[in-house]
Amino acid sequence: MTIREYHRPATLEEALALLGRTEVKSAPLGGGTALNGLPEDEPEAVVDLQSLGLDSTSKEENTLTIGAMTTLNGLTEDDSVPPMLRELSHREAPNTIRNAATIGGTIGVVSPESGLLAGLLAYNARVTVVNQTGSNEVSLGNLFADSSHLDSGIITSVSVPTGGAGAYEHTARTPADIPIVLIAGHAVGSGSIQLAATGVGETPIIIDPRQIGALEPQPDFRGSADYRRHLADVLSQRVLSRLELEGNP
Amino acid sequence: MIVNITVNGEPHEFECAPHESLRTVLRREGYFSVRFGSETGETGAAAVLVDGQLISADVMLAAQADGHEIETVEGLASPLSLHPIQEAFIATGAIQSGYATPATILAAKQLLETNPDPSEEDIRDALSGILDRETGYLRPVLAVQRAAILLKGQRVEEIAKALIKPLTYDIDIDDLTEPDLLDPVLPKVVPHPEVPETAVVGKPELKVDAVKLAKGNPAFVDDIEMRGMLHAKVLYSPHAHAWIVAIDDSKARALPGVRAVLHHGNVARVRYASGGQSYPNPLPYDQVSFDNKVRYVGDRVAAVAADTVEIAEEAVKLIEVSYDVLPAVFDENDAILDGAPVIHDEEDMEGAHDASRNIVHHLSADVGDVDEGFEHADRVFERTFRVHQVQQTPIEPHIAIAYWDSDERLVIRTSTQVPFHVRRMVAPLLDLDVKRIRIVKPRIGGGFGVKQEMLIEDIVGHLTKSTGKPVRYELTREEEFVSSRTRHPQTITYRTGVDESGRLVAQEMKVLANTGPYGTHGLTVQMVSGLRGLSSYKARHKRFRCDVVYTNIPVPGAYRGYGAPQALFALESHMEDIAAALEMDPLEFRRMNWTTTGDPMDVAPELGEGDTEGAFVPVVTSSGIEECVAQGKRAISWQRRVDPEWVNPRDRPHIRRGIGFALCMHGSAIPGLDMGAASIKINDDGSFNLLFGATDLGTGADTILGQIAAEVLGVPLEDILVYAADTDMTPFDTGAYASSTTYISGMAVKRAAEEAARMVVDRAALMLDERPDAIELHDRQAWSTDGRSVSLADIALSSLHQQQQRQIMGTASYVSPESPPPYAAQFAEVEVDMDTGQVEVKALVMAVDCGVPINPMTASGQVEGGMVQALGYAHCEEMAYDETGRMINSKFGPYWIYRADEMPRIDTYLVETMEKSGPFGAKAIAEIPKDGVAPAIRNAIVNATGTRIDAIPFTPERVWNALQA
Repeated sequence: MTIREYHRPATLEEALALLGRTEVKSAPLGGGTALNGLPEDEPEAVVDLQSLGLDSTSKEENTLTIGAMTTLNGLTEDDSVPPMLRELSHREAPNTIRNAATIGGTIGVVSPESGLLAGLLAYNARVTVVNQTGSNEVSLGNLFADSSHLDSGIITSVSVPTGGAGAYEHTARTPADIPIVLIAGHAVGSGSIQLAATGVGETPIIIDPRQIGALEPQPDFRGSADYRRHLADVLSQRVLSRLELEGNP
Repeated sequence: MIVNITVNGEPHEFECAPHESLRTVLRREGYFSVRFGSETGETGAAAVLVDGQLISADVMLAAQADGHEIETVEGLASPLSLHPIQEAFIATGAIQSGYATPATILAAKQLLETNPDPSEEDIRDALSGILDRETGYLRPVLAVQRAAILLKGQRVEEIAKALIKPLTYDIDIDDLTEPDLLDPVLPKVVPHPEVPETAVVGKPELKVDAVKLAKGNPAFVDDIEMRGMLHAKVLYSPHAHAWIVAIDDSKARALPGVRAVLHHGNVARVRYASGGQSYPNPLPYDQVSFDNKVRYVGDRVAAVAADTVEIAEEAVKLIEVSYDVLPAVFDENDAILDGAPVIHDEEDMEGAHDASRNIVHHLSADVGDVDEGFEHADRVFERTFRVHQVQQTPIEPHIAIAYWDSDERLVIRTSTQVPFHVRRMVAPLLDLDVKRIRIVKPRIGGGFGVKQEMLIEDIVGHLTKSTGKPVRYELTREEEFVSSRTRHPQTITYRTGVDESGRLVAQEMKVLANTGPYGTHGLTVQMVSGLRGLSSYKARHKRFRCDVVYTNIPVPGAYRGYGAPQALFALESHMEDIAAALEMDPLEFRRMNWTTTGDPMDVAPELGEGDTEGAFVPVVTSSGIEECVAQGKRAISWQRRVDPEWVNPRDRPHIRRGIGFALCMHGSAIPGLDMGAASIKINDDGSFNLLFGATDLGTGADTILGQIAAEVLGVPLEDILVYAADTDMTPFDTGAYASSTTYISGMAVKRAAEEAARMVVDRAALMLDERPDAIELHDRQAWSTDGRSVSLADIALSSLHQQQQRQIMGTASYVSPESPPPYAAQFAEVEVDMDTGQVEVKALVMAVDCGVPINPMTASGQVEGGMVQALGYAHCEEMAYDETGRMINSKFGPYWIYRADEMPRIDTYLVETMEKSGPFGAKAIAEIPKDGVAPAIRNAIVNATGTRIDAIPFTPERVWNALQA
């Protein structure tokens, strides 16, 4: 139990000032479902973002911008969100967690097994991070590759294109279980399909279906590296054929 | 810090620390319906409504709730009233232990406020965050459907049992129904002509504890407050096998707020076995409260009592231990190799078969001459199976609170299945006489065998003795996984000889069982494996050989089903394969060989049941297996399995479908050993206090025992006030295990009630001036044959106050010479993804002969929930370890138990038989649902794919590898 300070700033500036303190290890708090309850690695101070008004969604042309404090259930129930992302948000956690967990928190925590993050990668999601020097937009893939983008910053929103078709496939022990491997795909325009996967890397990653053999999954008791590559291959082919069917009815 | 939270409409200011969860603060403020299931929120037992949204209060800081509105179940209804959702949960049998019922009711409330006409999928989604280890989610879903109707002000039907038309015999009853047309909330009973009409027994009476559970009233171990109570934490071993060279506790003792630090250096060394069993506990006595050796990752090293949980946690980290780390062994096959590490090499080790080779027990049983049998067999089949380690995971982990009462007797309020065994077993460890100890079992949040153990009561006892203060110790979820008890892994080899017609001639079962580092239930679980593994089928010659071995895995113990699920996975898989090799129908092959009424249970005396001299071989006295198979076949649509179009659906080329079967046979109590006792007394108003030692874990035992008394005394169940499982207040009972409560404790209650009834009748005869043998009891009256009557209330007043005063009461105990077997037919339907190995279980159907179900609602609930636990064992649950023996998935999620929103179809049939030795014809039902699911799924996979998989669980990679082989 190391959390010694709880803050609920009313403005983004105030929140950034609290997170920017070097003498206190501080973390932004979304829903708290991943952070609270962990005996290890707890920060000394949490900065609760609930009063910053970061939970609204807006649509401009072909881009949907989702506030970082939107809960997973909020995302699931929002019919302006692409259906695949709504489904993946729904399967991310049971409703007692989805009612609290936020999309910003899910990105910040970077669970390697998050199907929603794979879906956002497939959609080429872009994340807006605000820190004391200003606001930056960075692709989700780059954010995962370089976590320094988040240093002392706050994720304020996530943007995804609304067009194209999405599909995902997964293999798990039971229907609602966390997938061993999940492949999400997004088809835009003529034949361009982006695939992303969980269960084959340290974070969800964008994959090239022709380069599955080069993946180096972390094996665990649910799946060896070879089996995970096999699943990535089978499930990628299924996603591709579903998207091709939908693209060419 | 101060937080302003509105709870159930009332604004409050709560003092809390920034790190404290909303659950911690709500419980501290007296909202006891918010219950602990895990720190990380997955169980949902602590879910509350935050601004109308259901959220796990485990993972929300109290500070986050500042300024928000919270609803708990305490706000739903005032005393003596119920909210319609609570009414619906009680009426549908949706409550078993009730530990997480408040959260489930809040989930229903949120759903129905926004969606008054929810689909089943909506309901299952609403319940998806509340893990339930008891009901299989069937009745909670039905409860929400019923609540939706009630909230609209519409009328609902009374819930009675549905009588299903038998398929293999005729019966002269008018209101028989076809199962397809039924409301699924009605428990399905296939009636038997020998079963007499009864008034209270055989009816789906409401559980006697349902109201307090639906309302979230303080009823569990942790739902009390004690002034000055200390909190315990235990330092557990990080090594799988090591000597403790030195312990320096000085820094821990110096921490302000620390009141005691105990370890092998300051606690007397008293050897014991922790399994909760009758006196004398089976050898070996291979444990002490605190040892100078650790034998698995998670073994006890030291215990601390401190003013707060946080200080105790901090103190545990300050204890400095130096270890001499030893090589460890985890697999039972490796543990018996030459040169394997010796796990019990301490000088005072006693009672193991050969501790120097890690062999705890060597068991054997013989009927006839197996070698001769194999010689005469036309064909002999042999196959080896492996079953793995799982954990019981009650949503309420182990918890105990100890304190000195005003007479300076030690009271331990504990979540246990065996209060009387705990009292006797903990006494020598604490150096107290049995008479100085009182064990109280309040409501408990599930047990499933893991609480058939004296597990933590010695810790709180030692700490209260050394501090003089009340001490509370609750396991964390990780500790519940690693440091409590689990199911025994086994390697099982069957060899079976058959004649040319397919009849079994000889059957041999060899088991190598892994009991981890301590014996506890190692002897008796494996005896049950042999008993159950060699009792289902007739063979003239039988042989059981078993070595139970020590390893360095977390400790296996009792788990619902005991050794039977292991044995029957192997047996029913093996039988399926033999039928296939003989090109026989799998049901026909089993029917040709199964034991039925009149057949001897010949291996039982060899394995501790019946007369060990062989003079008395118990015989099957009732079997409904033929009808069970017929009902199950119809319910699962068995004929589809031979239709290639169904097995291999054209529109889904990578899918194969299959249906599998397993025969199940269990026991009802341990004959000649299990004893239950009860006493009953009348009150001024003609109601009765019924006191017994039997231990309700959420199963409904208190209810069905009350029904038995009510039936005998001619009163409704509401006139029986049940109090149970308190070593000061109630008669003895061995406890809740071995499927014994209905059969043994039920008979004790029946006899005690009969004794009281005789006194009631005598008094009525006096008052009516009539002969006692002309008096009958029913409808709260004693009736003479000429139609005159006197009420039980007047009888009570007369007897207690007016003339020839005496207390009408009865006391009885019961022990049975036999253990009549319940039978069941288990069916499973699966889909297999041939490209990934993913298995999806689509349906589980069980038709079970439990004699006469005393309460068809709770009996059906036992089967529904038991099958779902068994599904976890078969399909997805496993304890996984790194190479050092540390469990790597000691958390829900990585350790997956089924959720409400992913359930297969669950269907239960109760097939009556009249078991004359049981109370009102009853046999046991609690454990048999655990026995057949794994082999039925395995055999369904064979039907779907032709691939025979001999190890569980059927996780995707295992199945895919088998499909490639």
